[in-house]
Amino acid sequence: MIKKSIGWIDERFPLTEIVKHELTEYPVPRNLNYWWNFGFLAMFVLFIQLLSGIFLAMHYKPDVHMAFDSLQHIMRDVNYGWLIRYIHSTGASMFFAVVFIHIARTLYYGSYRKPRELLWWTGLVLLLLLMATAFMGYLLPWGQMSYWGAQVITSLFGTTPVYGDDIVRWLRGDFVVGDATLTRFFALHYLFPFIIVAAVGIHVVALHWVKSSNPSGITLQAKDNIPFHPYFTIKDLFGLGVFLIIFSAFVFFGPEFWIMPENNVPADPMVTPPHIVPEWYFLPFYAILRSIPDALGGVVAMFMSILIFAAMPWLDRSKIPGGALYRPYYRVMVYIFLVDVLVLSYVGAKPPEGHLIVIGQVATFVYFGLFLLLPVISKREDRRTRETGLPPAALALMAEERDELSRSEHYLRREEDLKVMSKGKRKGEGA
Amino acid sequence: MRRLVCILAAVAVWMTGVSSIQAAPNDAYPLAQIEVDNSMAARQRGAVIAIETCMMCHGFKYLRYQDLLDIGMSAEDVDNYRGDNGLLDRLESMTPIEVRKESYGKVPPDLTLMTIARKHGPEYVYTLLTSYYLDPEENEANHLFPGIRMPDAMGYSFTEPGSTERAEVERNVSDLVSFMVWASDPNAETRKTIGVWVILYLIVLTTLLYLVKRKIWRRVEKLKIENGTVKRP
Repeated sequence: MIKKSIGWIDERFPLTEIVKHELTEYPVPRNLNYWWNFGFLAMFVLFIQLLSGIFLAMHYKPDVHMAFDSLQHIMRDVNYGWLIRYIHSTGASMFFAVVFIHIARTLYYGSYRKPRELLWWTGLVLLLLLMATAFMGYLLPWGQMSYWGAQVITSLFGTTPVYGDDIVRWLRGDFVVGDATLTRFFALHYLFPFIIVAAVGIHVVALHWVKSSNPSGITLQAKDNIPFHPYFTIKDLFGLGVFLIIFSAFVFFGPEFWIMPENNVPADPMVTPPHIVPEWYFLPFYAILRSIPDALGGVVAMFMSILIFAAMPWLDRSKIPGGALYRPYYRVMVYIFLVDVLVLSYVGAKPPEGHLIVIGQVATFVYFGLFLLLPVISKREDRRTRETGLPPAALALMAEERDELSRSEHYLRREEDLKVMSKGKRKGEGA
Repeated sequence: MRRLVCILAAVAVWMTGVSSIQAAPNDAYPLAQIEVDNSMAARQRGAVIAIETCMMCHGFKYLRYQDLLDIGMSAEDVDNYRGDNGLLDRLESMTPIEVRKESYGKVPPDLTLMTIARKHGPEYVYTLLTSYYLDPEENEANHLFPGIRMPDAMGYSFTEPGSTERAEVERNVSDLVSFMVWASDPNAETRKTIGVWVILYLIVLTTLLYLVKRKIWRRVEKLKIENGTVKRP
C-alpha cells in the first residue's frame, strides 16, 4: 500500500529522487567534527522562532499603548504564554550564538574558499536578514531599551549625505519612533523570517551542489564520503539534544538573563536611559560604530565590518588547501580575530569613557587590519609552505584527491591547489 | 567619538522635543546582599504591606486581586483588602492619578515588574527602602537615590540604628521584596518545576541518541593518516 502510494507520487513528483539525492545518497566527508553541527542547529532554531513567534503574534498588540501590557498579558493570562515568550526571547540569543559559531567555523576551516564562495555569500545575506529581523523584533516589547535602541539605530541612517533626514523619516514612518514604527516593524518582523526560510533554501541548495568542506580542507575521495542519512542525521540529532539541554536551562532557569532590566520598564520618550546598549549580539559592531570619531565614518565602518566578510575569498590569496589546519599564520590570525571580537563586545557594552575609548579604537583597527593584512600574509605563508612543504598528511590526502580527479571529471577540480601541492611535494620529498 | 555621541544625543533631544534629565540612583552605592524569602507567609505579609502602604501611590497593575489567592491568602482576607474592587480588578493605586502626578511631578511607577526592571532588582529595592536618613535639617533623604521624590514610606529614617524598631522595618522591607519578586514573575515556580523534568527528559534522550550514534558510526572507520599515507581498513 505504502509502496504503491509512493510509486504513485514518484510518477508525478521526484519524491524518492529527492530523498535519495539529499539524504540517503548525499555524500558527506566522514571526518567532519562537531563544529559542523551548527548549520543544522541554526535551521532548527529558525523553526523554533517561527513557531513560537506565530503563537506570540496571536496575543501581541502592535500598538504603543498596548504593546508592553500585551506582553504581560502573554506572560500571565495566556496558557503557557510565559513559556512561548521565553522560548522566543531566549531563541533570539541562541540563534545568534549558533550562527556566530557557524561563521567562526567557516573562517577557521576556510569553508568560504573556492568553490564555496556563493555558499559563503548567501550565508552573509542570511546574517544580514537575521540582524534586521532581530533588530525589528527587539522593538516589539516596547520597553525602554527597545525604544531607545530603535531611536539610535534608525537615527544612524540620518548620517547619509543629503537624504539622511528623509531616509530616517521613511524608516520610522514618523519624525520619532512611534506607533507607525512599531506597527511596520511588527509587519516586517513577521515577514522577514519567511524570506529567511527561502534564503536558507538557497543556502542549502548551494551547499548540496558543492558539498560540505571538511577539517582537512582537501576534497576527500568518493569512498571517504558517507551518506548523510543515517550518519549525519543521528549526529545532528545528538548535537540537537545537547543544544536543547543548554537552551532549556536558559528558558526554564534563567530566561531573564537575556533580557535587559531596562526593557522591563515601558518605553518613555521623555526619559532617556543613562546608557543605551544594544543586545549582546550587536555589541562588537556597536563598538566599531562608536570607535570612529566621525558620525558618518562610524556608520560606514559598522556596515563595512560585516560586508568585508564577503571579500574573504579574494583577500585570502593562499593556495594552501583548507583553513587553519595546514596554515600556521592564518590560524594565529583567526585566533586574534576571535579575541578581538570579544574585546569589542566588552567595549560595546560599557560606556565610552577613558581608556575604553582607546581600547575600542585599537580593537577596531585590529579588526579591519586583519582583513587588510590577509592578502599579504596569505601570500607569505604560501611562499613559506612552498619552501618547507606541506605536512605529510595533507600531501597524502591531496595525492588521493589528484588520483581521483585524474580518474573522474569531478566538478570540484582545484587546479591551483594541485599546482602548489606538486611543488610542495617535490620539495618535501627532496628533504 | 564625543562628536557622535553629541549628534546622537542632539538627534534624540530634537526628536523627542523634551528630554528631561532626572534624578538617578547612585550606581556606586553598595547594595545590601539579601536572601529572598520565597515562603508563602513572607509573600502574604509583603502583600499586606504592598496594599496598605505602597498602593497609596503605586500600582501593581499586572496583578488581579484573585492572584493573591495563589500566594495562599484566604478568600476572606482578599475580600477585605480589595474593598469595593472586584476579584478580577487589577491592583491599582488607591489615589487618583491626577493627585499623584501633582504630588510628585510624575506618576509613581508601577511596581509589578520592579524587581526585574533594575539590575539586581531585589537587592536594589531592599537597599532603596533601607537607605533613607534624616539630613541635618531633619529632611528625608536617600543614600542610594539622592533627590528621590518618594517619601520614606516604610519609616526607616525615623528608627534608631540597632533598635528593635529598625529591625522590624527591615523585616517588613524584606517581606515586601518577597512579594514583589513573586509579583514580577508569578510563574517562576511552575517554570522551574517543569524545567527540571524537561532537562531530565532531554538528558535521557540525548544519552540514548549518543548511544545510537555510536552504534551507527561503528560501521565507519576513522580516517587514519600515518607517515604521509592514508590508511583504511
